[in-house]
Amino acid sequence: MQEQVLELQNVSKKYGSFTAVDNISLAIPKGSIYGFLGPNGAGKTTTIRMILDIIKPDSGTVTVLGSTSAAAVRHRIGYLPEEKGLYKKMKVWAIISYFASLKGLDRKAARARAFELLETYGLKDFADQKVESLSKGMGQKVQVLSAVAHKPELVILDEPFSGLDPVNQEVLEQLIQDLASNGQTVIFSTHIMQHAERLCDRLLLITKGQKIFDGTVEEACAILPRRVLIESANDISVLNQLQDVMSVQESVLPAGQDADRKLWEIFLHENANPQSILQKCFENGIVLTRFDYTQPSLHDVFVHLVSTDAKEHAFR
Amino acid sequence: MRVICLIAMREYAENVKTKGFWIGILLLPVILISLFFVSERLATSTPTRHYILIDQSGLYAEAVQTAIRREHQRRVLLEFVRYLQDNRRDVNFELAPADSSAQIDQLIGDVDADEVAALDQWLDSGGLSFALAMSGASLRENAPAFVEPREQFIAAQLPAAIDANSSPEEIIEQLRPYLNGERRLDVDGQRVPLFAVILIPEDINQDIVRPGTITPPSSTAGIQYWASNLTDTRLSNAIQNSVNSSIRNNEYAARGIATSTVRDVQRTRLPVSRLDPKKEVGEESVSVADTFRQWAPVGFVYLMFVTLMQSVQYLLSNTIEEKANRIIEVLLASVTPSELMMGKLLGIGLSGITTIATWILSFMLFIQFYQSSETEMIGQILNVLLGSDLIPYFIFYYLAGYALYAGIFLAIGSLCNTLKEAQSLMMPMMMILIVPLVTMTFIARDPNGTVARVMSWIPLFTPFTMMNRAAAQPPMVDVVGTTIVLLASVALVLWLSGKVFRQGVLRTGQPPRLLELLRMLRG
Repeated sequence: MQEQVLELQNVSKKYGSFTAVDNISLAIPKGSIYGFLGPNGAGKTTTIRMILDIIKPDSGTVTVLGSTSAAAVRHRIGYLPEEKGLYKKMKVWAIISYFASLKGLDRKAARARAFELLETYGLKDFADQKVESLSKGMGQKVQVLSAVAHKPELVILDEPFSGLDPVNQEVLEQLIQDLASNGQTVIFSTHIMQHAERLCDRLLLITKGQKIFDGTVEEACAILPRRVLIESANDISVLNQLQDVMSVQESVLPAGQDADRKLWEIFLHENANPQSILQKCFENGIVLTRFDYTQPSLHDVFVHLVSTDAKEHAFR
Repeated sequence: MRVICLIAMREYAENVKTKGFWIGILLLPVILISLFFVSERLATSTPTRHYILIDQSGLYAEAVQTAIRREHQRRVLLEFVRYLQDNRRDVNFELAPADSSAQIDQLIGDVDADEVAALDQWLDSGGLSFALAMSGASLRENAPAFVEPREQFIAAQLPAAIDANSSPEEIIEQLRPYLNGERRLDVDGQRVPLFAVILIPEDINQDIVRPGTITPPSSTAGIQYWASNLTDTRLSNAIQNSVNSSIRNNEYAARGIATSTVRDVQRTRLPVSRLDPKKEVGEESVSVADTFRQWAPVGFVYLMFVTLMQSVQYLLSNTIEEKANRIIEVLLASVTPSELMMGKLLGIGLSGITTIATWILSFMLFIQFYQSSETEMIGQILNVLLGSDLIPYFIFYYLAGYALYAGIFLAIGSLCNTLKEAQSLMMPMMMILIVPLVTMTFIARDPNGTVARVMSWIPLFTPFTMMNRAAAQPPMVDVVGTTIVLLASVALVLWLSGKVFRQGVLRTGQPPRLLELLRMLRG
C-alpha cells in the first residue's frame, strides 16, 4: 500500500448549529496532487484549517505526516491561506526568508532560498521592493513562494488561483507540477474546474460540509452518463430502442437556426459504444447535421453534483 | 524559543525601522531641549517698555524713579546671582544644603524679606562693580564676562499737547489713545508704544491707608497705574514697594524710630534645618539630591506611563494588522499562538526599552555638550538617580507592568479586526491607566498613606503605585506582598489572554459580547 501523507477519519466541525464539515474521511497518498473542490461555503477552508490544526475538529481524527497534530510536523507543511496577506512594510525577499526561517531554516539558508525562488519564478527584480508596492497578483505569487520556501513535504494551497491572470495561473500550475515531481504532496482547493482537471491526480468534492466524491478525475467524469449531441430534421425516436441508450432528450437549438432541425441529447449507459448510434441512424436513413460525442467535463460533474445544493446555499 | 526570538526580532526590526517610531521617540527630548532654550531666551528678551510719570503732588516722583532704577538693579542682582551659580567653582548639590546657601541665598533672602533694603545694601556696597570684584576669586577659570542686562523701563516725556497740571481725568482721557496702542510716542525720533502711565494726584497723601482706617478707598485712590498689559506686573509692584517703603520711612521718622534699626530687625532670621531620621547620624540634613530622590519616582511613573502607552499601541496595531491581512493564518500554521504572543511581547517590549534608552541617552548627550548650571544640576541628579536603588525598582515594575498591560491589550487586539473596533474595548483600559497618573503627585506627597497602600494592592496599579512609593521605603509587607500579587496577576493575565488570543486571532466579524468572552476565558 502507498504511503499516506494525510488521513482524515470521520472529521466533523460545527459552528453553533451550523455544520461546517460533516463526517469527512479521506486519505491522500504521498506525491500526489489532490484537489478540494466545492462551492463557496462548502467547508473546504474549514477542512484545511483542521488539517493544519489551526482549529480543532469536534470529532474524528486527523493524521498528518504520521502525526495526529499538524503542530508537531508543521515544519514539513507549507500553507497558503484563502485570504492572502503579507506584512506590507517588509521587503519581498525578507518576507519569504522570514516565513522560511519560522519553518526551521537557518537565516542564511532562508535568505539564499528566497532569492533562488524569486529568480526561478521571474520575480528577481522585485526582491528588494516592499510588499505594499506589489500588485495583488504579484503579492499572491510571493505568498505562494513563501509557503513552499522551506521545501515542505506537504503543501496546502487554499484557492491559489483566485486573483491571478491567465499567465500567472499557468506559472502557478507549473509550480504545483514542479512540487509534485519533487515528490512533494500538494493539496489545493479551487472552484475553477479546469485547474483541477489539468493538475489533479485525485480530487475531493464537498458541498454543505459533506463529501460527495473522492477519487480520480476519470472516476469523477464517469459519474455523469456519457452524452451524444445530434442535430437532425428527422424523427429520431428509433434511437430509443438501442440498448446502449439510456434516454433521449430534446434540447434547445440556438435561436435563429433552421426551425426544421432539432437538437437531441442522448445519454448512454456506461461502457456504451457511441458508434452504435451512428450505425442506427444510418440504417434508418436519419440525416445528421451534427454529431458530438464528448466526455462530460469536470465542470459538468461539479454542476451536476452540487448545483441545486449550491444555489440554495448561496442565497440562504 | 527559536521562533519566539525570530518573531520578536521581526516585530522589533519592523518598529525600529519605521520613521514614525523615531519621530515619536525623539520628539520628547527635542521639545524639552528647545523649551529649555526658549525659556532661557525669553527670560532675557522682554522688550524695552516706555512709561510716563506725572507727579502732581511732587512728593513721590523720586520714590517711583528709585523704584524703577531699583527694579533694574534687581534684575542685575538676580542675573548676577545666576551668573555666579553658573560659574562658581565646585558646585556640589550632594553637599549643598537644600534651602540655604552662603551669601547668595543670604542676598536672595534679603531681597525676599525687604527688597528695598537688600537693594540698598547692594547699591551701598558698590553694586555690580563691587560684586564683580569680590566674586572674582570664587569664579572658575575661563568664566565668561558678566553681561549687564539692559534697562527695561525707560521714562518718556508727556506729549507736548497735554498739560501736566490739568485734572487726572483729563490727562488720562488725552493719553488713552496712546495706552490703547492707537497712537505712538515720539522718543528720540522713534515711534514707540506707551506701556504705562503713572499718575500721582495732588492730594495723594489723603489716600494713605493705616491700621484702623475704615473708609474703603475708591477704585482710583492712591497712585494711578494705567497700563493695558495686565500680566506684566513688575513695574506696578516695584512702584508699590518703593512708595510704600518711602511712606513707611516717613512713618518711622514720625514715630521716632531709626530706619537702620528697622532694617536690622528685618534682617534677623532663624534657619530651619530639614533633617531625615532615616539617614545616618551626622548626615541627617536633607540635601537637594535627597529632595530629588524623593520626587524622582514621579518621573519614573510618568516615564513608565508614556512608554507603556506607546508599547501597547504598537502591540494593538501590529496584532490588528496581522488579523486584517490574514497573515495570522500563515503564522499559526508555522508557530503556536503562545509562541506568537510571546514573540510579540518580547519584540514590542524591546521597542519600549529602546525608547527609554534613547531618551536617557539623548539627555546625557545634551548634558555632556551643553553645560550650564541647570544642565549640571540635571546631570548630578541623573547621577544620583542612576546610582540609587530606584533603578532596580523601575526595571522590575516596568517589566511587570508591561507584561500585565501587554497581555490585556494583546487579547483586545486579537478580538478586533480594525483599530476602530479596538478603540471601544480600549476605553476602560485607558481609564484605568489614567488613574496612576492622576494620583502620581498625591502619592509622592503621602507615599505610605491609605490611598497609596490600597492602590498598591490592586495589581493593575501596583507597578505605578509601588514605583511611586519606592523612595519612601514602604513597609516590607507592602513590597513583598504586592510583588507576589503582581507576579501572580501577570501570570494569570498572560495565561488568560493566551487563551483569548488563541481563539481571538482567527475570529472574524464583530468583537465578542461579554458572555462569549467569558466562554473564551474558560475554553
